[in-house]
Amino acid sequence: MNDYLIPVLLIVLAPVIGGLVYGFERIVKARMQRRIGPPLLQPFYDFLKLADKRQMMVHSTHAFLGIMHFVSLWFALAVLLLGGDLILVIFLHLLSTALLILAGYSTRSIFSHLGANRMAISVLAYEPVLIIIAVSIFMINGSFDTALVFAGNEPLLYKMPLAFIALLLVLPIKLKKSPFDVAEAHQEITGGVELEFSGLFFEAVYTAKWLDYIFCYTLVFLFAGSNILLGLGLMAFTFLYLNALDNSSARVNYKQMLRFSLGVAFTLAFINLIINSLL
Amino acid sequence: MNLAAYRKKSPWILHYNAGGCNGCDIEILACLSPKYDIERFGMINTGNPKQSDILLVTGPVTKRSRERLVEIYAQMPEPKVVISCGACASTGGVFRGMYNCEGGIDQFIPVDVYVCGCGTRPEQIIDGVVQALAILEKKTKALEEPVQLKRAAKQEEGQLNRRELADDIKPLLT
Amino acid sequence: MNFYLTGLYFLPLIVGGILLIAPAKISRPLVILSSLILSVLALLVFFSVSEPVYFSVPHYVSQLVAGADVLMLMYFLWVALQRKSLLVGILSVVQLAGLLYILKNLSGGETLQFMVDRLSTFMFLLINIISGIIAVFTLRYIDEEECSAFRKKFFMALLFWFIGAMNLVVSADNLEYFFLFFELTTLASFLFIGFRKDAVSVQNAITALWMNQLGGIAILAAIFFIMYNGYGEITFTNLLAHTGADGLLLPLALLSIAALIKGAQLPFSKWLLGAMVAPTPVSALLHSSTMVKIAPFIILRLSPAIKDTPVAMVIVGLTGFVFIASAISALSQDNFKRILAHSTIALLALMIMMGAIGTPVTIVAALVLVLFHGISKCMLFLNAGILERVFHLKQSSDMDRLSESGPFTALVMTIGFMSLLLPPFGAFIGKWLSIETLGALATEKKLLGALVLVAVAGGGAVLSLLYFKVMGLLINRTGEKDQLRFENTGPYYSATIYILLGLVLITVAGLPLLLTYYFAPVAAAVHGSPVPVLNEGWNLFIGTMRIPLLPMLIAFFLLPVTILLAMFIRFRHADRAKEYMCGEKINYSFSSFYFSTDRAIPYFSAAGILFFIALIAVALI
Repeated sequence: MNDYLIPVLLIVLAPVIGGLVYGFERIVKARMQRRIGPPLLQPFYDFLKLADKRQMMVHSTHAFLGIMHFVSLWFALAVLLLGGDLILVIFLHLLSTALLILAGYSTRSIFSHLGANRMAISVLAYEPVLIIIAVSIFMINGSFDTALVFAGNEPLLYKMPLAFIALLLVLPIKLKKSPFDVAEAHQEITGGVELEFSGLFFEAVYTAKWLDYIFCYTLVFLFAGSNILLGLGLMAFTFLYLNALDNSSARVNYKQMLRFSLGVAFTLAFINLIINSLL
Repeated sequence: MNLAAYRKKSPWILHYNAGGCNGCDIEILACLSPKYDIERFGMINTGNPKQSDILLVTGPVTKRSRERLVEIYAQMPEPKVVISCGACASTGGVFRGMYNCEGGIDQFIPVDVYVCGCGTRPEQIIDGVVQALAILEKKTKALEEPVQLKRAAKQEEGQLNRRELADDIKPLLT
Repeated sequence: MNFYLTGLYFLPLIVGGILLIAPAKISRPLVILSSLILSVLALLVFFSVSEPVYFSVPHYVSQLVAGADVLMLMYFLWVALQRKSLLVGILSVVQLAGLLYILKNLSGGETLQFMVDRLSTFMFLLINIISGIIAVFTLRYIDEEECSAFRKKFFMALLFWFIGAMNLVVSADNLEYFFLFFELTTLASFLFIGFRKDAVSVQNAITALWMNQLGGIAILAAIFFIMYNGYGEITFTNLLAHTGADGLLLPLALLSIAALIKGAQLPFSKWLLGAMVAPTPVSALLHSSTMVKIAPFIILRLSPAIKDTPVAMVIVGLTGFVFIASAISALSQDNFKRILAHSTIALLALMIMMGAIGTPVTIVAALVLVLFHGISKCMLFLNAGILERVFHLKQSSDMDRLSESGPFTALVMTIGFMSLLLPPFGAFIGKWLSIETLGALATEKKLLGALVLVAVAGGGAVLSLLYFKVMGLLINRTGEKDQLRFENTGPYYSATIYILLGLVLITVAGLPLLLTYYFAPVAAAVHGSPVPVLNEGWNLFIGTMRIPLLPMLIAFFLLPVTILLAMFIRFRHADRAKEYMCGEKINYSFSSFYFSTDRAIPYFSAAGILFFIALIAVALI
């Protein structure tokens, strides 16, 4: 029973923890720019404020798909934390992304469409890398189950450092951080797929972003196996790395992103796969 | 739980330039910079009317931008406040009376706070936003109802002045 | 039992004959009735066959078959003369010479000519049910075709003969018979593709003919080498009985080549892409239930013999390459049917790959893919037909606002695409099983496994991009029409689509049961040893592979139900706002984006040819 206690707690509290991570991230980012930054609970203030706005939407399909994006992402996260099959998790995550992309396409808004197009391309950029990493894990563990990874003795990081680097290279795409934030690009396409959501419906998309943080940091944590200290260290490192990168880099266009991700990150993951299969 | 209390903790700003000289815009961007850092109040410059609470307008309304201004205002979900930022947005400023200029933005959308200056100083902008937040907290989710105007606009300095049209109904609004 | 089988073989032939002469008034009930009967027969056969059933035919039938072979090749020759196609002529002559040589040297005596095992019955189900649905659909479609009344009847008749030929192909054991039926399907597709008789159609029909003739020659060569090496009977059973024997690798490689050509793998993908000029039911037929499904059928039949051989490894390499290459070339397409065709080729590659690897799990994966791909593709192609006829749309970029004018069609197509990509649909299960087994393969076979895995992972991502692109066009609409009213496309169209939609949803919901009682026995028959499928708690075990059912069940509620709900749900209390366009009020027309991947296609074909050469080479060595 205790085995399930922590994952279940994590799953239930995922939006809260994700919100805290996001709030902390905003502070850290501000400090990196020598600003003070918003309070830690700022995401929750935003959340409560948004709940009190007049409800507006483009059409019901669009709004509903946004809500289901949140629900399915939470579900994918739950499967991941409960030790589910990694390939299944990746595809469930794809499902939730698919719903958001469809939501973007479902309106007749130019920015929404641009965002959805770019998001579909970012899926192309990070998904193969994730699958290759999952297979590398399979080669070491003999199973795709994340439960085995969490229980594993020796951290995966020592066995597949290249895969970790590849993951670090694609995480900005997944979390929509500079330099790979073409899908969101606030200054350019005003948020892309999020654009047409407002009020309560935007809340779903906004909190889904927090869930995505938990999802990504759990992927990072996988590399530490049962070594919790190392896992926390990796997560802290990834956190600082992501924010430093976000603050210090300018946005590249989608072609450059695709070229980089499939050229560098994918190759790294593949080399790692070959090494793992030879060992 | 009183959700209205959180409005002033996370004001998201939509910044719209209705046709000015960019002076005020640069001052607004200065507010985001480390020296003034309005993000510490939870403000975000969203650039998206559908998720914004405050419409920050700079520049006089030109004939081209008039409809866009109203459209963007209409796309913001209530409760919302409008800040007219700088002399041009408030009255037309140095552009007043020009052939392409319609004057201040309050002729087209209801304005809650006027911030003076040409261009406005960041401190003034922050002050204006803080005053707007107090108004925002009191507003409701209801649509801002239009009221019947009875006076005709009068010709002044070569252009229609619609400002005094609302004199009759001003008591109703306050 | 035999009665049912006889029905499956002869009913389509007889119905086809009647349709050719009967007036239109009779043909409609006849088609519907016979489609029903065929489906029921296929079901009955499926439940009554558990052990392989062998039966032979009298000697005069053998002579008849030989005669038919020769006649058909003469017809090909005639086509070559008429169309002045040197290639078809040469290939026909080669085929004729090979056939005559084989017939001369064929040992006499009674051999078992037919074998119906679980794999055959599995194919029967797919062929008869899906093709029956297509036949009903065609009743209306062909009515609106601009051609003479006789051509319309001929089309319907051809459709049934095609079904009959397919039923025979999957139950032929003797390779000579197999050759005849194989070439009969080639003939049928030649007639189908050239049905519209314009220059492009004729050209593409010729292409389809000579490419598939190459497959026929490969079969003849396989027969020759079996006889030459002295293995006696030229039957699949005999071939499988001698698994691992010297000199059998070449015939196996040749048969695999026939399969790969039928399956339109690169560089032979051109015939299937060219088949798009034909009326849409033809595409539906070729892609979903018949013709291309011969490819996974042959490979599955041979999989006990070819697995772990170099031939299988080359096939795995080739199909891995084809999977990603056809996914990439699909990105440059705009014609809706061509997009579907490319994705068919990609998924066929996956099925063939799974068959060639030949472990219990991969065989299940191949079967799952064959069935679910059949249903989904049929639904998508029939919808393409509806788009063409009712909405007059052919290009995917014209589909803007389809969900306003045709919400039902848009909805069904969205579900169709989803069912090819995402959990919990069968195609996803197939893909999932493939990735997991390829992981195991990569541990064993190192580089090859790793490369193929990369191809599958990359190709899958490219395909998802492609599907998103099309779905995006299907789903977009303004907020002005927030009332849903399904369009009326007429009884024939809507009935077939509803049946297919029901099949998609039911098969997904009943997946655990299907895996245990439907796929596992078939896979056991193919593999030759029982495939353990255990249902423990909320987990389904196939061999070493675990499928957690609870996530799949929730995914079922998340995806198909979400898509349906998204169409129906109305938030009445929320206000509607216009889309944000920087305050402008302009009506945009939305289109799609392309990637100019055309340049890569010659290289893909060249690489495909290299793979085929490698296939022969490893078999010779």
